[in-house]
Amino acid sequence: MSTERARNPKTSNQIGGHAAVALLETYGVDTVFGIPGVHTLDLYRGLAELGMRHVGVRHEQGAGFMADGYARASGRPGVCCLITGPGLMNAATPIGQAYSDSVPMLVLASVNASGDLGKGRGRLHEISDQRAAIAPLAGLARTVRAAEELPGAIADAFALFETQRPRPAVLEFTLDMLAAPAEVSGARRERKARPVAGAEDIARAAALVDAARFPVVLAGGGTVDAADELKAFVEKSGALCVTTTAGKGVLPDSHPQTLSGTLALSPTQKVLGDADLVIALGTEMAETDSWCERLPINGKLIRVDLDAHTLTRDYPPTIGLLADAKPVLAALTAAIKPGRQPDLARAKAVREANAGDLDQQQQKHVKVLMAVRAGLAPDAIVVSDMTQIAYTANVTFPLERPRCWFHPNGFGTLGYAMPAAIGAKLACPAREVIAIAGDGGFLFTVQDLATAVELGLALPILVWNNDAFGQIALGMNERDIPELGVKPKNPDFQALAKSFHARTEKPGSLAELTDAIRRAFKADGPTLIEVHEQADYLT
Amino acid sequence: MATCGELLVQLLEAYGVDLVFGIPGVHTVELYRGLPMTRIRHVTPRHEQGAGFMADGYARVSGKPGVCFIITGPGMTNILTAMGQAYADSVPMLVISSVNRTEELAMGDGRLHELPSQRNLVAGVAAFSHTLLRPEQLPQVLARAFAIFRSGRPRPVHIEIPIDVITMQVAARDIVAPRNIPLAPAPRRAELERAVAWLRDAKSPLMVLGGGAADAAEAARSLAEHLDAPVIHTANAKGILPPGHPLRAGENMAYPPIHQAIREADVVLAVGSEFGETEMYPDPKPFVFDGKLIRIDIDPEQLVRGFGADLPIVADAGAALAEINRALGIAATAANGDTPGARRAAAIRQAAKKHWWPAVHRHQKIIEAVSAALPDMILVGDSAEHVYALNQSYEAPRPRSYFSSSTGYGTLGYGLPAGLGAKLAAPDRPVVVLAGDGGLQFTIGELAAAVEAEVPLIVLLWNNDGYGEIKNYMVGRQIQPIGVDIFTPDFQTIAKGFGWEARRPDSYAALGAEMKSAAARNRPTIIELRADDPWIA
Ligand SMILES: Cc1ncc(C[n+]2csc(CCOP(=O)(O)OP(=O)(O)O)c2C)c(N)n1
Ligand SMILES: Cc1ncc(C[n+]2csc(CCOP(=O)(O)OP(=O)(O)O)c2C)c(N)n1
Ligand SMILES: [Mg+2]
Repeated sequence: MSTERARNPKTSNQIGGHAAVALLETYGVDTVFGIPGVHTLDLYRGLAELGMRHVGVRHEQGAGFMADGYARASGRPGVCCLITGPGLMNAATPIGQAYSDSVPMLVLASVNASGDLGKGRGRLHEISDQRAAIAPLAGLARTVRAAEELPGAIADAFALFETQRPRPAVLEFTLDMLAAPAEVSGARRERKARPVAGAEDIARAAALVDAARFPVVLAGGGTVDAADELKAFVEKSGALCVTTTAGKGVLPDSHPQTLSGTLALSPTQKVLGDADLVIALGTEMAETDSWCERLPINGKLIRVDLDAHTLTRDYPPTIGLLADAKPVLAALTAAIKPGRQPDLARAKAVREANAGDLDQQQQKHVKVLMAVRAGLAPDAIVVSDMTQIAYTANVTFPLERPRCWFHPNGFGTLGYAMPAAIGAKLACPAREVIAIAGDGGFLFTVQDLATAVELGLALPILVWNNDAFGQIALGMNERDIPELGVKPKNPDFQALAKSFHARTEKPGSLAELTDAIRRAFKADGPTLIEVHEQADYLT
Repeated sequence: MATCGELLVQLLEAYGVDLVFGIPGVHTVELYRGLPMTRIRHVTPRHEQGAGFMADGYARVSGKPGVCFIITGPGMTNILTAMGQAYADSVPMLVISSVNRTEELAMGDGRLHELPSQRNLVAGVAAFSHTLLRPEQLPQVLARAFAIFRSGRPRPVHIEIPIDVITMQVAARDIVAPRNIPLAPAPRRAELERAVAWLRDAKSPLMVLGGGAADAAEAARSLAEHLDAPVIHTANAKGILPPGHPLRAGENMAYPPIHQAIREADVVLAVGSEFGETEMYPDPKPFVFDGKLIRIDIDPEQLVRGFGADLPIVADAGAALAEINRALGIAATAANGDTPGARRAAAIRQAAKKHWWPAVHRHQKIIEAVSAALPDMILVGDSAEHVYALNQSYEAPRPRSYFSSSTGYGTLGYGLPAGLGAKLAAPDRPVVVLAGDGGLQFTIGELAAAVEAEVPLIVLLWNNDGYGEIKNYMVGRQIQPIGVDIFTPDFQTIAKGFGWEARRPDSYAALGAEMKSAAARNRPTIIELRADDPWIA
């Protein structure tokens, strides 16, 4: 991996492969995740000669999740570089995950030569129509056949990231384009601004806020860069505030007006039902946050989102603003009248009721989670997988800041946590990053432990081991279906991690767990920390 | 009464399905309700990509479709690559997935595992994809899938069932037996007569056998011997003529002498081959035919692609060859040693061998030691140095005994799970996986699946500490190597941590002995060879 910038201007614009990399540089791209293959050699020629950082992975699914973690941590698009066919299809799941969680991700892939497309000749890595195969997962999918199309195609992708609900963008480069001589001027197109709401709309929305007796804010992933504006609005309006999983931490959990990320819990849902005005910002109000058929919205509803479909398809708003949450919050705060007292007693009571809502298994999770929290700095990033302990954490894990809790929410895939944590750590090397995965989910992408070792990342990986696909075993039990395929035989996780030359820990108490995490942040490589659900210290 | 999910597994059993690969999820649990009432075995991989590759390996060895149960969304995106590989190599595979509830389809409400359209997603890697909206449709849709598997060009088929439909009750009158599946077509008389006339008059005929001829081995062999025609096998056809057969002329289509022989033949009979570019690696070039080209293929589109054919025949390979043999009056023939055809074949073989690059000699020597220990083994390859090499040289003991992901789609991570599927299809034969250190890491979690399924698989690992093949290409093209010299974990301890045996033989004799004991063991074994092992020439 070369990090120094051995840039040679003379070679920087010789072929399509160079031109693509040179253009990306002008947009601030500094890291790409991938695995080279014969089809991408000319892109790698560009990467090598322009000295861009390349992170080599062990499966393209890892590249995709790393790009996702990189993007969620930094707010900038994560970039992957993949071969035709299997390389791109291997990243389909991360692309789907990034789509449903609105993560900016730029996927560069090769595709067979222009003259071969659609011919079904049995070429290496051939697929009948690669663009069509990946398009359903992406916000944008374009085939670039000539170097002159590069500036426009890359500008399109960045316009998507910067101005719309961010989604993955896939650019496929034909082999002939990558190898052909190219002279492309290397300037980025001007940054596009996100839409703002008009003064009249703000006035109408402000009037609704002023008229409300009990307003509640629902803050989604679209607010994570508007923490200050949100806090100001909540304080001036006296509203209570609940977040989705993607919005976790945008209002600090220590704030008296917050109900945290508890949208799935019934006491919080009851608060929404009692509100005469809900202000939903940058959220899909999706099933995977509420886990109920329909949220009880009985009063008026203001929705603010960058995506028109989100504003129209369900929960029709009284006022829908197609705009970025940040300027809307700022404008609304300025426009509303101060003076409403927040119902702090209600907030406190709901928080307590939520905490009492947990069953025994969840209480066990909370013990572990609090020991984890004790080992983390306030701005630490926690990256979780689809595991029972993460479902509990989604509604209980305390956070003081946004962009600190990543979970594969909508698409709900397994194997996300560790590679996404690698990406987050590379984006924010000075911050603490920890991955939390179940035994099942960890094995989905275990090979990229080798990547974490190779990079020497001080990354604790907490494996929550119940020797089961616990959530699915539960589903089978509830439905009286004989348990089948849900108690997979696990490897010895300690031996497994050691063979990757990773450190391992198996704490014997909650205090030792906290210490193990602290030690892991000082290590010169990743540490697998195994916590078994049946451990003595958890009973 | 039964639910749609229960009817599904009953019908699958009636179609002869005995194995299903899958990772259950909340969306698919209802597919599992009826399974314990059937004789169908369920094998759990550690990633849906593994399920797909296992199904592929199972299908290539058994000739029957490999079947997977897959969850909505990420399960389906995870299995895409495996479907792509199966599509490119014409492998029958049935992927049954859940999808969101009927009334939620395409609504974009942000439901768990939701996609705008799963069917659009798999359209490019499946023969068809069907959304089952009523349980009564199931018998017909399954019949359509099996018609493709048995009588068309086999390819993956995807059936998605909305979660509300899986649990719908099926009326008793709709619980029916499988439909009759039509037989694949035989050639028409006029075409048959022309083909027979050309072949009868041919002075220097030559046969190219592809994967589509795998189930017509006897007929192909009789015809070749009768015509005294040298035979070129593609990688997926290896084993149709037995090892050492005097008419074996080439094990793929890579080298100039083979191109030359194809060019000079006055009639080339190609059966079930795409003439795909990956058969011609490392240096693919278009073919020239000075004589006539007869192509037999089950897929009419295939017959007009590339260079077309002078006489294209849409037919099942077995049916067509049987008809040709009958018309030529061929009963059984015996391999006759020293014929003009055998001398032509020997000349092609020897000239081609001169083009072997050093790795081909190296791995041929290694594999000979392995073959001597396990003469009836099935070799399942990933995309790695030893696979590319053996594509050139290896002679498989019988059909359906050598395949890899280095052909067609060319993915990595295929070997281990596909080998597991192969072993489940042929439990009595040794199965040896050829994987590189890079490819093995792609799907390393499946080491656990092999232990759990009690499949005593053997992995022959070629460890060159990185993506060797790609590094060679970079160096060859003066690109500063990046991303190819990767950190490699210690496979001996990994294997042991997963409950595998692990060995590092230090001579050809030790390699053979380790292979024998691995095949006798009831646990899986990794046998690791390193590119810098001093004993390997
Ligand atoms: C790619 C994919 N396949 C299958 C599922 C279904 N699924 C959801 S949770 C789960 C169990 C995962 O097991 P583990 O990681 O051990 O977590 P646990 O539920 O035991 O805490 C499964 C199989 C999924 N979400 N994604
Ligand atoms: C999914 C996928 N990603 C990348 C490639 C490109 N590729 C082909 S061979 C290869 C090297 C594989 O390394 P290894 O398995 O160690 O085999 P070696 O070439 O070293 O023998 C790579 C990266 C591919 N074929 N498929
Ligand atoms: Mg578990």
